[in-house]
Amino acid sequence: MKIVVCVKHVPDTAEADVVITPDKKGIKKEGLAFGINEWDEYALEEAILTKEKYGGEVVAITIGGKDSEDTLRRCLAKGADRAVRVEDPALEGSDAYALAKALGAVIKKEMPDYDIIFTGTQAGDDGFAQVGQTLAETLGIPHAALVTKVEIQDGKAKIHRELEGGLEEVLEIQLPAVLAVQTGINEPRYVSIMGIRKAKKKELKVLNLSDVGLSPDEVGEKGSLLKLEELYVPPVEKMAEILTGAPEETAARLASILDEKGLIPK
Amino acid sequence: METVEGESFGEKYDLFVCLQCGKCTGSCPLSMRSQLNPRKLVREALLLENEAVMDKDFLWDCTTCATCRLRCPRDLQPVEVIIGMRSILIEEAKVPSTVQEALESTFKNGNPWGRAPSKRVEWAAELSIKKASEGAEYLYYVGCTPAYDPRVQSVARSLVRLFDAAGVDFAILGNEEKCCGNEIRRMGEIGLFEMLMEDNIEMFENYGVERIVTTSPHCYNVFKNEYEGLKAEVFHYTQLLCDKLDEGKLKLTKELKKKVIYQDPCFLGKQNKVFEEPRKLLSSIPGVELLEYDREKMRSVCCEGGGGRMWAEATATGERTAEMRVKEAAALGAEVIAVACPFCLLTFEDAVKTTGYEGKIEVKDISELLIEAIEG
Ligand code: SF4
Ligand code: SF4
Repeated sequence: MKIVVCVKHVPDTAEADVVITPDKKGIKKEGLAFGINEWDEYALEEAILTKEKYGGEVVAITIGGKDSEDTLRRCLAKGADRAVRVEDPALEGSDAYALAKALGAVIKKEMPDYDIIFTGTQAGDDGFAQVGQTLAETLGIPHAALVTKVEIQDGKAKIHRELEGGLEEVLEIQLPAVLAVQTGINEPRYVSIMGIRKAKKKELKVLNLSDVGLSPDEVGEKGSLLKLEELYVPPVEKMAEILTGAPEETAARLASILDEKGLIPK
Repeated sequence: METVEGESFGEKYDLFVCLQCGKCTGSCPLSMRSQLNPRKLVREALLLENEAVMDKDFLWDCTTCATCRLRCPRDLQPVEVIIGMRSILIEEAKVPSTVQEALESTFKNGNPWGRAPSKRVEWAAELSIKKASEGAEYLYYVGCTPAYDPRVQSVARSLVRLFDAAGVDFAILGNEEKCCGNEIRRMGEIGLFEMLMEDNIEMFENYGVERIVTTSPHCYNVFKNEYEGLKAEVFHYTQLLCDKLDEGKLKLTKELKKKVIYQDPCFLGKQNKVFEEPRKLLSSIPGVELLEYDREKMRSVCCEGGGGRMWAEATATGERTAEMRVKEAAALGAEVIAVACPFCLLTFEDAVKTTGYEGKIEVKDISELLIEAIEG
């Protein structure tokens, strides 16, 4: 099995205060803890489990700066055979579509005979949840997102997908395919610092756009369908009113407030 | 067995001289309630292959209280053998998920509690404290649990007020502070421990730190005994405050009419022989009647909070040692159990609830009692 896993190095913003940069296009990195995107951690584990079961090779790919090598080293320590990082100033301002093009180009160069590409369903930072599917489209192969179980069969895979309301969908998908993994699909293993140090011997390649055969116009803002206008923290509303009284009174009061605010279509 | 560094357990820990006398097991606070049996493990480390540790879940029961080491007639270190076995489990990724989360968070966030590094200094929001960059006689190393745990934050705040009251010139690292690694080493994550030690020593040196005072006996222990190359002198807060009491700078004037019993923390008491300072501080509070457990000082009983037990669900069954200690304190007529360790504070407060003594016995850190004595 030739397996690709795409990973992203992201800041942990669950608890930390996020500060927007003066150009309103990004967030300040100081004081934030970075690590592998949660969904990608499960995708990586699934890739390694698949290799352990069926043999083959796992290559971990990321697009990002030098600091994202921390995430790639973890991938290598956990069992990826080699890693590739793509960095290029022209990638600045890329949307999910441009990133998918870049990932597709790296994959075609580094593992053209892939059987499965694992990604996380979404990233914890921008939460687009688009790269997996878009990547599959650019490569012209099938895809599935929110994948919670994978069983490889001859040239195909039986997969489970998480639907809303606790429903699960079971599908058969033709390989090669992109499987965008949901958290909880497996139990990502621990990797020790000693393990990470030992994995330093494994190959970690750094490529730029021309190495993967893309022109600067195909990525960045020019190659994107979406352009980031502005990031802002939603203002905290100060007004809160608690209605008290009998249900019919509070309901009537609520209806009139909504009406006053113009929230009921006429 | 072979350690993760490739040495034989027998040679590394000198196990050939073990008498198999069983004093270690006899003194272990867990061996009655768990399969944890240090005597047997010492033997197995000599005779069995590494695979034999894979299904020993009970290895996580050890609190690293070190009683086994302190009682061994041959000066052996069964507790280190257990840590060595945990290291094998760590390298083989056979780790309880809660331990895994604590270790991953320590690597990523610098604390085992899964909390953001940028929130580390929030406990001090209302206080004005010097930053280490400004230089001070003492670095107050707060520690992860006092920084983040809402209950234990009160200890850190009390200490700041006590240091101020006693005229101590001190500073903190704020959000730059990182885990000391005492528990990390004891969970068997040697590589992560070494990384923390190197980072911390470098940071202390950058700020020209010459004296460190800690909230927790665990941080105190690791800085004092295990940080290779650390030049700074290390103190537990009870030592520093006791000095200030002797110098007449810490004045305990307000009366506190309470019967108080003191729980020796393993990492302060039996492992580092700091017995008198905490007792002196307590008995200097006007009105306090200091009681003693039957088993105190070197014979004191572990609270079960150390060695990674804050993050590992024990396999041990039956009454926890902290519950036993709460009942004993009650029988002796104590109104307050005084502790000097964040983990003791948490395990004892839990035990007071589970034994039904809530409202009857309070658990307080010594620093919190001292605050009452200076401020009333
Ligand atoms: S106390 Fe020491 S000598 Fe006795 S069994 Fe334990 S390790 Fe061996
Ligand atoms: S360190 Fe304490 S808990 Fe662990 S084996 Fe020794 S006596 Fe038992």
